[in-house]
Amino acid sequence: MKMKKFIAVLSIASMMAVAAVGCGSKDGEDAGTDKGSEGSWDAASAISVVSREEGSGTRGAFTELFGVVDEDDNDMTTLDAQTTNNTSVMMTTVSENEYAIGYISLGSLDESLVKAVKIDGAEATAENIENGSYKVSRPFNVAMKPDLDNPVATDFMAFIMSTEGQEVVSGEGYIPVAEVEAYAGTAPEGSCVVGGSSSVSPLMEKLIEAYKEVNPNASIELQTTDSTTGMTSAIEGSYDIGMASRELKDEEAAELEGTVIATDGIAVIVNKDNPTDDLSVDQVKSIYVGDVTTWDAV
Amino acid sequence: MKSKAWTEKFMQGVFFVAACASVLAVALICVFLFANGIPAMKEIGFIKFLTGDVWRPSSEQFGILSMIVGSLYVTAGAIIFGVPIGILTSVFMAMYCPKRIYKPLKAATELLAGIPSVIYGFFGLVVVVPLVRDFGNVLYRAGIVEKAGDGNSILTASLILGIMILPTIIGTTESAMRAVPSHYYQGSLALGATKERSIFRVIIPAAKSGVVAGIVLGIGRAIGETMAVIMIAGNQPRITGSILQGIRTLTGNIVIEMGYATGLHREALIATGVVLFVFILIINFSVALLKRGADHE
Repeated sequence: MKMKKFIAVLSIASMMAVAAVGCGSKDGEDAGTDKGSEGSWDAASAISVVSREEGSGTRGAFTELFGVVDEDDNDMTTLDAQTTNNTSVMMTTVSENEYAIGYISLGSLDESLVKAVKIDGAEATAENIENGSYKVSRPFNVAMKPDLDNPVATDFMAFIMSTEGQEVVSGEGYIPVAEVEAYAGTAPEGSCVVGGSSSVSPLMEKLIEAYKEVNPNASIELQTTDSTTGMTSAIEGSYDIGMASRELKDEEAAELEGTVIATDGIAVIVNKDNPTDDLSVDQVKSIYVGDVTTWDAV
Repeated sequence: MKSKAWTEKFMQGVFFVAACASVLAVALICVFLFANGIPAMKEIGFIKFLTGDVWRPSSEQFGILSMIVGSLYVTAGAIIFGVPIGILTSVFMAMYCPKRIYKPLKAATELLAGIPSVIYGFFGLVVVVPLVRDFGNVLYRAGIVEKAGDGNSILTASLILGIMILPTIIGTTESAMRAVPSHYYQGSLALGATKERSIFRVIIPAAKSGVVAGIVLGIGRAIGETMAVIMIAGNQPRITGSILQGIRTLTGNIVIEMGYATGLHREALIATGVVLFVFILIINFSVALLKRGADHE
């Protein structure tokens, strides 16, 4: 008896699950209706929009540069966009889903996984950002207290802003700051802590390596967190130098002195099976605002 | 004699301090959460915060209803997948399992509990998400659903969470069933009941409070799970009617946005934590009530 009842409950539960699928999906979502069979591209399919979290430096720069904002600068990214707070999840999602579109830092782009599309005909490369044909870029900031008394931190900053430091920047695929002079530091002994944005961190790692060659006496610790933690910790004094992949907010700029150490491009990425090679700024905008939901309508 | 009495007192003190540590930790977390979260809720407006379904921090719109619904969806989904499998597994382990299979089976369920949640998340992202996407496509082509979804969905999150809560449910249910005196079972068999009937009508009702405690602990784990969920749930802050579409959970909302949040946005995330904390309190409270009810019987 009970056994039968139990089985009945189970089957009702599973039927309900199926029913939930059946009568659901009244919501308008433009995420991936890839009705085409596996492997074949179907342009009538819905676009799977993938976005970064609100407040992220990458998202802030992306929405601003592509105009995914209303008159009052409010973020208008469609609520149907998937959200991730992680560059590698973003790349995995786009590489697994034929109809997905996303955006990442040019320095983290792995072309074996995904394809970066041209924006208004310009390829996403460091040269194109430098000569101004690829317009989607944002600054990498480092910030320290104006009255910071740490000779290593000051000297390291001088190194970053020197010809040698900026060579590292361009070597890593970022765009260096235009006017710099040769490093003429004092190579003091001591230690300092650098921390903040995970976008800036890979570059900072290389800069620290290069700095250790010119100044073996210094020890620099790198902590990877995020832009906001980087700034607040620099204000509180637990980091000597904070990193941010966005502009400093007003309340942060009041306490810290920010310096742009490099410019990073933002690449718009699609799946490798996606035949789209070239998008205009307006097309990307209409995808992210949610006006265009299928690839053939782009 | 005297020195012995002194050491006894001293050790008693040590034990007392140790006992206080966890109470203190809970108290401090409560104070932190409420002191930071309540003012933010007030500033946003309690009703607006809890029932608003638009979450756009950059334009000062903080409504977490969609996240509350999202958390409830995936938790319910986890129960639908996890509880039947968990209970049936513990029936097998406690009543049917040959000794030879028992050891590896037990080790496997315990290992399941030890796998870090980020591994579950990555497994979900690489294996389950494409499967669910294909499943969605099949349904879409058959005309059963209007949108196929892209695999990052309530269904995916429910499946993974269902697996994650298995060890909790199996562990408590199995030990509760083993704690039932064997003469209940033998008596039932002696009265002519079949083995299955004895298990489901005698053993499980007798072990009810343990089973329920296991399920509720599983609910607690499912609602609090973060890392795995944010990798596979899509994290769209909006309410949906289809299990093939993504949602954002309360925990996911905090983790995803905490890194870059400042000012009221940050406080709103802490207030999200308050709501989550209240959920957990309700769950624990209901466990206590259920247990008391069971004891009275």
